[in-house]
Amino acid sequence: MTELDAGLALVPPRRLLSDHIDAFFDLHPGDWPLVTDDDVVGRQLPIADRLRDPRTTVVAGPAAGEAPGVPGGRWTPAPGRRGHDGDAEPSGELLFRSGGRWRIGSGEHAEPLLAPFAGTVHDVRPGIGLRLRSEAQGLLGVEGLGGPTAGRLAIVTGPDGEVRAPQVDVSAAGAILVAGQRIDAEALTRARAVGVRGIVVAALGIKERRDFLASERRGRAAIHGLPPFAILILDGAAGRPIASPLMEVLRALEGRSVAIVADPPCLVVDDADVELPRPPADLVWVRSGPLVGAEGRWAGLAGPRRFAGGVLLEAGFVRFGDRPPIAVPLGDLERFV
Amino acid sequence: MTGIPRAILAVDAGAATTAVAILGRPADRWRLMGSLVGPAPASPDDLAAILVGRIRAADPGLAAAIGLEPDAIGDLPRLEARSAPPVTLGVLAASRRAVGLLHGVAQRTSWRVVAASPESHDPREMTDLALRPEVGAILVGATEPPGPDERAAIDDVAGLVAAVLRRRPDLRAVVAGPIATRRAWADALGDDAEQAAGRILEAPPLGPRSGPDETLREILEGLLPGAMDTRHTAMRSLASLADVLDRRIELVDIGLEGGLRAVAGPGVADEGPTVEGVRSAGGALVPLDPDEAAVEEVLAWTTGSLDRHRMGDRLRDLRSRPWADATGEGARLRLAAARAAMTRLVDVTPDLSALPAPDLTLMAGGAFAAAPGGSVVLAVADVVRRTGATQVALDHARLLGPLGTIDDPDERRDIVADLADDLLSPLGSLVIAAGMPPRLRGRAATGTITLDPEDGTEAIATTARRELASGELAILDLAPGERANATLVFRDSARIGRRARRFSVSVSGGLAGVIVDLRDVPLRLPDRRDRRRAALATWGEQVWPGDER
Repeated sequence: MTELDAGLALVPPRRLLSDHIDAFFDLHPGDWPLVTDDDVVGRQLPIADRLRDPRTTVVAGPAAGEAPGVPGGRWTPAPGRRGHDGDAEPSGELLFRSGGRWRIGSGEHAEPLLAPFAGTVHDVRPGIGLRLRSEAQGLLGVEGLGGPTAGRLAIVTGPDGEVRAPQVDVSAAGAILVAGQRIDAEALTRARAVGVRGIVVAALGIKERRDFLASERRGRAAIHGLPPFAILILDGAAGRPIASPLMEVLRALEGRSVAIVADPPCLVVDDADVELPRPPADLVWVRSGPLVGAEGRWAGLAGPRRFAGGVLLEAGFVRFGDRPPIAVPLGDLERFV
Repeated sequence: MTGIPRAILAVDAGAATTAVAILGRPADRWRLMGSLVGPAPASPDDLAAILVGRIRAADPGLAAAIGLEPDAIGDLPRLEARSAPPVTLGVLAASRRAVGLLHGVAQRTSWRVVAASPESHDPREMTDLALRPEVGAILVGATEPPGPDERAAIDDVAGLVAAVLRRRPDLRAVVAGPIATRRAWADALGDDAEQAAGRILEAPPLGPRSGPDETLREILEGLLPGAMDTRHTAMRSLASLADVLDRRIELVDIGLEGGLRAVAGPGVADEGPTVEGVRSAGGALVPLDPDEAAVEEVLAWTTGSLDRHRMGDRLRDLRSRPWADATGEGARLRLAAARAAMTRLVDVTPDLSALPAPDLTLMAGGAFAAAPGGSVVLAVADVVRRTGATQVALDHARLLGPLGTIDDPDERRDIVADLADDLLSPLGSLVIAAGMPPRLRGRAATGTITLDPEDGTEAIATTARRELASGELAILDLAPGERANATLVFRDSARIGRRARRFSVSVSGGLAGVIVDLRDVPLRLPDRRDRRRAALATWGEQVWPGDER
């Protein structure tokens, strides 16, 4: 390893692309998987029913002569069977038995969980979750909220742009929008309202995040529910531009059908034909500090340096354009692998 | 270790940073040759290659004497400690009181804790919590016999936990009290009872007002795969260090995934050194998902003008990239977060707070690694407020964890004895006084401090004297390596460990010199945010150097 390579190895690496996807979809007690291990499912096919109004119900459970109940099993009352109060007993997931009666997770309204990409199902565990594996590629982010969802990718602003509500109109219905460095809560609400399927953004502040999650909770509890919608956060919470290697990949995908999943947080590219660009190995991106958003070429280790605030940190030289190299703390840099 | 190598690679692989150090034995004792820290997940080999290159460039003869070759890093014997990522513990009980008792014990362990009872969650929600993949074990408990508040729901909780154990064969459970004797428990386990028995550990029942602290904590810590966990091994090194230095030492370690507070004392007569400590996931620099309370805790220690939302954004970013943004305002934010984390750690260790001030307070962990020395001492003074005098030092090369991986206590003691001077970076001495009569507040001088030369070769040459005023933070220069006798004389009586008017304590120098803290104990900050920030800024100005590069 050369000295330059050895120094570059200390720059925190960031994985840009995944060459396969093994996505986890969480299920909660009362939700019900519609698939079993090794099932092969196509895109937008239902893989589970999720309850929008989950609750605990106390029922008598399996009657004498029926198979004994098992925690995690599905229970459906015999037709016409009624509970103590005379109402029909609901069906649901058996949780546990206490005092001779079962507690089940049940609800009146379920919505289908659609596979955002084609793949093979495995590790199906009622009440916990299931996994969907695919050879699709993925552009990795740091966090996914909501979803899963799928749609065609549209870029509505540059890497350092911000999306405001007036910029989102009905022409974006069904699309996943690349929203630059940040998006405000109003624009998120409007995007949801006009049928946008998802947002890819560099940063999402905690205010917008909290508003979005509260809106999701309200929407899921409503009678008619909401269509799937997801946000893929590429970097973090404080605003910063989308790094050029990420932006190049997004540009290569513009107009294509993609999906957003939350675990792992990524943009799934279920298209074997597309060639995704990769950045040069010595490209480094400044993700924090006074030079945030700048990109340059690695020029070797600078050794321990004193920075603002009297802080002594290991630093590396970075050449920005044609200017002489500048020492930047290693922790403020990121390279793409 | 067998035989005596000439060089050792010490590795402390933390959640946020990886630290390596080269220990060498050029003659008849071990010395610290150098250390290097890189952002995680930097490879120890990559770091070691650069460090070896620097040592060879600085002193080729020394490098040759200990056999340092850049191509032979893989052959160096290693002492390697790692920060194990915390696992979530689901804490369940039949009443809010009972779950509170269990929660109080669990938060004094390395587990990340989520708690629920039928008074806060319905059975489906409790089942959901216990089934989450990140939950690695369940702690369920009840008093013996069950209290009136538990009786209505104890069968539900027993049935619920047993059903979850049946559904998750990977899950372990710690049962404190008469849970497994309930019929609902046996019914729910059904045919799996025998298979599940190996995953169930019994603990003493809850008391009416307290959990079975020591025994239960040992059981819970034992469930974690942490034999080489850096905070576990650091406690072993701490005991060795206390024995070698013949001093009482308090260790405060704040890392990304948890904190450690421990106090060690030297061995007396035939007995070995003692150490007691608490590892707590709650002592993490930033919680996994910082909520509004966490944001407020940090805001309370900041002097900047960030609002709650911006502070929340900064904390989320600090959590996800803890090595980044460590300069300028980022450094101050990190120290504010470290104070909040230390406060949480101190809150769960009242037993350690009740002990007298230690001779040496040792700071460790990535939160303090890059900060100016004075700011670290001030952070200690702000949060760990015990009257008395203590020297403050930093485990700058992050050696405590790796040295603690040496199993043989005698062998560990020998190497710690050799390295004691090298592994401690002296930050200064801290003297906290309290109990000055309020009527003296605001007067120009409450007392005086005089630093006199102490007998010995490294003593200071001249006498320094300074007046002291109630409520102030006084800083006197005393260079690293220098020692002095500090004589504090107050107009009226004060308390520095004991109550008197005149005190004489031995102090040693450091980057921050000697800090005499005459602020309230416990520290009372103004309620109004602007005044609080002004007070913090005034104290901070004395220890943060200018922003020039």
